[in-house]
Amino acid sequence: MIELAHVSKSYNRGKVKAVDDLTLTVRPGEIFGFLGPNGAGKTTTIKMIVGLLRPDAGTIAVEGHDVGKEPLKAKQVTTYVPDFPAVYERLTGLEYLNFIGDVYGVPKADRLERIQKWLEIFELAAAVTNPIQSYSHGMKQKIVLTAALLPAPRVMVLDEPLVGLDPRAAHQLKEMFREHCDAGKTLFFSTHIMEVAEKLCDRIGIIHRGKLVACGTMAELKAMDRTEGGQSLEEIFLEVTEK
Amino acid sequence: MSGGAQGSGGGGGHAGWHGGVSRARTIGTVIRVGVRSNFGLAIIKHRLFKEKKDRWLAWLIAVSFLGVVPLLYGVVLTIQNLYDILKPMGQERALLSLGFLAGQFLILMFGIYYVISAFYFSRDLELLIPLPLRPSEVMASKFAIIVINEYLTVAAIVLPVVVTLGVVSKAGVGFWVNAALVYLALPVIPLAIVSIVVVAMMRFVNVSRKKDALILVGSIMLIVLALGVQIVLGKTAGSGGPEASAAAVAKFFTSPDSLLNRLGAFFPPGIWATKAVAGGFTGAGLANLALLWGVSLALAVGMVALAEALFYRGVVGLSETTGKKRRLTRDEMARRVKSGRRAVAAVFGREWKIMNRTPIFLLNGTLVVVLFPAIFVLMATIDTGGGGAGGSGGGGSDPMVLLKAIVSANPLIVILATALFMTICGSINGTASSTFSREGPQFWISRVIPVAPREQAAAKFLHSYLVAALGVVTAGAVAAIFMHVKAAQLAAAAGLALVAGVLLTVVGMAIDLARPLLDWTNPQKAIKQNLNVLLAMLADIGILTIVFFGVKALVKAKLGAGAALAVLFAALAVLSAASYAALLKFADKRYPAIE
Repeated sequence: MIELAHVSKSYNRGKVKAVDDLTLTVRPGEIFGFLGPNGAGKTTTIKMIVGLLRPDAGTIAVEGHDVGKEPLKAKQVTTYVPDFPAVYERLTGLEYLNFIGDVYGVPKADRLERIQKWLEIFELAAAVTNPIQSYSHGMKQKIVLTAALLPAPRVMVLDEPLVGLDPRAAHQLKEMFREHCDAGKTLFFSTHIMEVAEKLCDRIGIIHRGKLVACGTMAELKAMDRTEGGQSLEEIFLEVTEK
Repeated sequence: MSGGAQGSGGGGGHAGWHGGVSRARTIGTVIRVGVRSNFGLAIIKHRLFKEKKDRWLAWLIAVSFLGVVPLLYGVVLTIQNLYDILKPMGQERALLSLGFLAGQFLILMFGIYYVISAFYFSRDLELLIPLPLRPSEVMASKFAIIVINEYLTVAAIVLPVVVTLGVVSKAGVGFWVNAALVYLALPVIPLAIVSIVVVAMMRFVNVSRKKDALILVGSIMLIVLALGVQIVLGKTAGSGGPEASAAAVAKFFTSPDSLLNRLGAFFPPGIWATKAVAGGFTGAGLANLALLWGVSLALAVGMVALAEALFYRGVVGLSETTGKKRRLTRDEMARRVKSGRRAVAAVFGREWKIMNRTPIFLLNGTLVVVLFPAIFVLMATIDTGGGGAGGSGGGGSDPMVLLKAIVSANPLIVILATALFMTICGSINGTASSTFSREGPQFWISRVIPVAPREQAAAKFLHSYLVAALGVVTAGAVAAIFMHVKAAQLAAAAGLALVAGVLLTVVGMAIDLARPLLDWTNPQKAIKQNLNVLLAMLADIGILTIVFFGVKALVKAKLGAGAALAVLFAALAVLSAASYAALLKFADKRYPAIE
């Protein structure tokens, strides 16, 4: 579960308000899609959830642990995939996965099983002993995803996770999203791909100029819409982010 | 473009002229953008004037430089004394040569790394190559950036010498004008030579998969080469026994500028630079200035012309590094998937691997602590090719005589001098002061993993301290073998150096933690162009100066050697323990604030 209460964050000494009084709860077992135009505050929100940025105001809790006050407990149950896969280029894929396994305290048996499973799915098994430096963008994205899946976290936070993935890997990842949440865990991800959000997410939030302008299931979003029914998520998105 | 060019040809000529202007503008633009991006000018401006962050840093740097004033004063005083000694012998110009040569050697020695990484492995190449630019234009801009970078390196060595000599000899306008022009040309020749070699090598040798090894081996080879030349020069000067040597020395000192010519025989541009500056506006001065500038420009133009033909052929395909793909068997995978290590061990392992697998980190970290004592020994023992280490008769080179004199002096001084040597050898590297910066864009990983900042700092400390300890051990071996320091004195010195090493490591780490340089795309920026490394060195000098005065006070207080050492050790131990505890606290506070 992720709980944000009246969270605000501004840059440039308060001149640019990136997130403005955001309150939001993502429940266990839920895939939550976070949408918004470029610069709307998506990445800032995500970075605050995983502890990379400190909110100016408000509180964030992950599985009941305040991210500001109990950061290690919150981090122990969360993994994060950034929008750009910057990873240790001089380590091999396997060394990186071992590092992540060590710091999250993943037992050897679980580690072996999960590494093998995800390497097969992402077709990385043949490259895992090579330095990450030699990976393509998509391969780096996959190794970061594998690392994020390795601890089998209660909460996964992903920033544009489908960018750079080939269709097969994207399909597998979406299936993993569902499996993850069917096991009662929480998944929060940002995307620009409306189709994916519409089909995959249990609930969707749309942020615009730092404010949450719409939030709910697809049916709820459609009901919120004042124009004539039968609209797609894309049309709803365009309408609520127009002002 | 005269009358005859009025027709169609005129149009072509006109277009050509415009083309020339626009190409020059293009190169200017590429250089300007490259310089701004390389030095992060936009970021500095944004942080200082828009976000109004980091203003304290400007003050800190100013204060730190004030701290160097005593050191600079010492250097200036030494140069002035040397001038007074050499002037009656007509050898004073050798000082200028020495300054110029030292600067140019430094560039030659470390240039290979800068050139290879700037020309072939900087990430902006992927942006520049698709643009409608000629290979020579891209190369010219890259070259200009390295030259500008090197002005800063050379300034530290050349400026004190030139300015002191200019002031002491009450030089005229010609000296200063030519000095400025020589300074501008100084890095061009060595960098152009390195660039030509590198461009040719990258074209004809398939090194893309071995680039790290190439950089490392190339850099070490150049250092060895420079030392080899030093040895050969030393041997030539020192051969022929004491009588011959005495005669040579007498002749040497009676013929004006013989020292200058000997130094310059090694690398003629050093002589041209010296004669240009010393000659001022005289015919000889201007001729040498023209020679220096002419050769610099010719080499730069030659290098750019070569680039037009060869540069892209070496670059294209270089970024596509391919590893051998081999699927691990189940058993192999089971062996290589580790059972859990503790978080501190995992972070330490990561630090160790990344440091030693990145050539620029390795060169400025682990290798420096081994190379520095080795270079020191070579310089000291082979300078005149005399007795050298443990050599019989003759008494060896001047530095060795001096060192042996120190060693046979008061045991307290022996221990302190050895401890100082060990401490300097241990702390001269940039491992501690770039430990956070080296993570660069990957720092987000350290921020999101469930490992307390203090544990991460402890692992980083362990790594940095191990490198420092390696320096202490190497320096200890040098002191034992070449300076014949006794075992008991060596142990006492090592104890002091190891405990002082904790303090200096902590200070370096704290400086880097206060202001980590994380937004780099080229690892060179994290350690070589990282102000924190310089600040840490200045802080180290400050700390060692304070320790020096502390020791002086202890001696004045008429304490026995044993008691003085015990007090010093205890004081350093308390300071080190307190600073280490403070560092861990600082890490807990600082990590969450790094955005």
